[in-house]
Amino acid sequence: MKARLVAVALLAAGLGAGALGPKAAFAAAAPAAEALQVPRIAYRERKLDNGLTVLSVESHASPTVSIQVWFHVGGADDPEGKSGFAHLFEHMMFKGSKYMKSEQFDRLTEDVGGENNAFTSEDVTGYQAVVPSNHLETLLWAEAERLANLRVDEANFRSERAVVQEEYRQRILASPYGRFFEEMRTKPYLRHPYRRGVIGSIENLDAAAVADVVAFHAAYYRPDNATLIVAGDFDPRQLDAWVDKYFAPIPRPAAPLPRRETEEAAWTADRAITVKAPNVPLPAVATVWLAPPVTHADAPALQVAAALLAAGESSRLNQALVYRQQIATQAAFSTDLRAGPGLLIASAIAAGGRKPAAVRAALLAEVKRLAERPASRQELDKVKTLLLTQAFSSRQTPLGLAAAIGEAAVLGRNPNRVNTDLDDLRRVSAADVQRVMRRYVSGAHSVSLDYVQEGTPQ
Amino acid sequence: MSGRSLRYLAGALTLLTATVATAQPFEVPPPPAPPRPLAIAAPVEQVLPNGLRVIVARREGVPLVTAMLVVLSGSELDPPQLSGLASMTASLLTQGTRKRSGPEIAAAAEALGGSLESGAGWGQSLVAITVTTPRLDAALGLVAEVTREPTFAPAELERIRNQTLDALKVSYADPGTVAGLTAARLAYGSGAWGHPADGTPASLPRIKRADLVALHRLAFRPDRAVLILSGDIGPEQGDLLAGRHFGNWAAPVGVAPPRPPTPPTLTDGPAVAVVDMPAAGQAGVVLALPLPPRVGAERAAADVLDAVLGGGYSSRLSQEVRIKRGLSYAVHSRIEARGRNGLFLAALQTKNESAVEVVALLKAELDRVMQAPVPADELASRKLSLIGGFSRSVETTAGLASAIRSLVATERAPGELKTRIAAIEAVESADVQRYAAAHFGATGRRLAVAGAAQRFAESLKAEAPGLVVIAQPQLDLERADGLRRD
Repeated sequence: MKARLVAVALLAAGLGAGALGPKAAFAAAAPAAEALQVPRIAYRERKLDNGLTVLSVESHASPTVSIQVWFHVGGADDPEGKSGFAHLFEHMMFKGSKYMKSEQFDRLTEDVGGENNAFTSEDVTGYQAVVPSNHLETLLWAEAERLANLRVDEANFRSERAVVQEEYRQRILASPYGRFFEEMRTKPYLRHPYRRGVIGSIENLDAAAVADVVAFHAAYYRPDNATLIVAGDFDPRQLDAWVDKYFAPIPRPAAPLPRRETEEAAWTADRAITVKAPNVPLPAVATVWLAPPVTHADAPALQVAAALLAAGESSRLNQALVYRQQIATQAAFSTDLRAGPGLLIASAIAAGGRKPAAVRAALLAEVKRLAERPASRQELDKVKTLLLTQAFSSRQTPLGLAAAIGEAAVLGRNPNRVNTDLDDLRRVSAADVQRVMRRYVSGAHSVSLDYVQEGTPQ
Repeated sequence: MSGRSLRYLAGALTLLTATVATAQPFEVPPPPAPPRPLAIAAPVEQVLPNGLRVIVARREGVPLVTAMLVVLSGSELDPPQLSGLASMTASLLTQGTRKRSGPEIAAAAEALGGSLESGAGWGQSLVAITVTTPRLDAALGLVAEVTREPTFAPAELERIRNQTLDALKVSYADPGTVAGLTAARLAYGSGAWGHPADGTPASLPRIKRADLVALHRLAFRPDRAVLILSGDIGPEQGDLLAGRHFGNWAAPVGVAPPRPPTPPTLTDGPAVAVVDMPAAGQAGVVLALPLPPRVGAERAAADVLDAVLGGGYSSRLSQEVRIKRGLSYAVHSRIEARGRNGLFLAALQTKNESAVEVVALLKAELDRVMQAPVPADELASRKLSLIGGFSRSVETTAGLASAIRSLVATERAPGELKTRIAAIEAVESADVQRYAAAHFGATGRRLAVAGAAQRFAESLKAEAPGLVVIAQPQLDLERADGLRRD
């Protein structure tokens, strides 16, 4: 919803890119992952004089179209002392502009049979609408309008800030593992702005004011910091003409884009953190390592490593910790890759009566085994097929297709990653997996988190 | 720009001068082009000689197929002492067959690129997988194997039982989940439809292997099952594959198919319950209202009513609770099927201090929709929103299969997929008000609030005399009597 933070789910995230091949005949023997055809996504790219990047891809399977605008700004750009601001700002983008009333965006989407949503991550803020395709021009107008002419009043600001504070309570305070998920993704950082997270805190949100909204819009919401993505049922010539009409007049500001600090030096010692909460049904553990940026050449091998450990019921962690040892109720390994230094997170929720230390030992034993012994060809092929099918499945809709292109272009800095990421994934060998596990995991320092009930003796 | 204070306006003008001067000279949104209608193909249904219905819904353009085997009975068959039996039975299907162990089944399914899901709900149990087209044959082999030949090994039963008990600990720490489970008990009392489908800490240890075997023998039979294939597949291929994997599946001899109990529409017992969770970071609020079978055009009227109240950001509940007052991140309503009956649910979470205020807002909106007609423009936009949501839901192979599953599990024709849009378009304001007036009155409303009771229970008592407050550790969802305790 206007407000979805990028996934903090415990289960390992799938890969964000990929497409599988043309129709094949029924066959009793299923082909291996290597044999799956991956047709190119034939996107078009335009760059306007004001710096706006426009990416589009046609798909006429349904009379719908997705219009998305992704900005290179996220929680890591929050003003000091105002953590959570980029996300609060995302909510304010629905609160009116010079020529649009508050919530008019809902009138132009929901009320005509479409939908709208937005998300804020550490690096990126994305606005995602889907409408019946005859409403494309209207939506292009509306996106250009709130990019050019955002207007926010005090009453709307206060009520929406209260909504975001309820979001904080729902995600962090009321959810039994909310604090754990939040702290595992922030506390390990020593210096990088990622240490502040995306959702912020009640106090930091209280410190924000309407003037901050105006300043933030001026600093980051500009055509040369935005990517417009259109996917679905449209005519390319009409699209170009409407983009020229509504987006081209928006000027590129003279001031340079603010740039944030982006360094996090390699950790020089292991650390341990205990997170306590008033409402912990079963203790949980996590061990966290630093990951390279999402654009790094080692990213595909790390994604395959994570899938070997944690994708599906047959994954190593599930089989060892949940099925055989029954020491955990769930176990995960996620590659939380970002524009800057990301995280590799091994985590597990204890089974009833099991101690965190024992759960962690079992978790780390499986992680270490992957670094020490090569995975079989059969196991590698299994996870590649799973990742390819998941990626393909997520691209069936205009929303999913545009999101895949947005992720490649904005987070990956190259839209063609939407085509090349899956090729890279299929080329990953067992030796590549071992190499990256040794480099980033077994040969690196880590941060351990224990999540326990308040009042539990240590 | 209305209502903005001059202080902030000054700041805005300073910073946005450059853009205001030149950008976006277009003051009104351009009108939409003529609409391009959505064509949903009618699914094709065939019946195998053993009674298995095979429904194929083609969606071209992507080489993916979802295969879903639905058995037309589920948690409503759980005996009174054995809440969670249907759910446990369905979970164990994939945990071992005569040919393969649980880990072998998972590895085989995932090597095909899909995850083999199994589970039970109200009126249905299912096994499903989504794979690329060339893998469908092998995937259907797995679906057939786990449906027809599960072993229900004792060790697997113990493992799933322990995991489910652990999962309940997590559920019972979540105020939204606790409010939902409590509201269902208030709505349906001690009968079959009011119990927690996942079981309770008391019921799960009572379930024996013989119970699973008996339920499987009674309910998993071709003459009470439907195979749905959606995506890149035609009816001939569907029929061929269904015959190959399910053709020799025989119905049990001398065992009558199960008869589901009829859900009550009005129960005795408390209308409001508070579950005290002193450490909860928010209060979970769920309003439940049992509905009788929705006949003919009534179904679409009820769906439009639901959309007016709680569908999307623009719904009345969202306007009042979220947009005007900032009292919740999300408030939604829905109508769930309980056999041929329905259960209206409105749910939200709010800070504990606001629980009483949101309860009053929920009630006021239910009253309003009974008393006054929905204005024409609001009705039109809610109908389009409902139609759009339905259209998007069938854009994926899995979504299409689920839409068909919902129809067959409530004894409706798969052809309703094709007529649903027209049925919604035909709903008029008077239909909505008539349905609301007949079924949304105070007598049927049940309310559960789970959270830090000391911050709202006293004020709620003023609104709801006879309010029951139960400490969460004492909450007994085994029976409706469990909600009478103070």
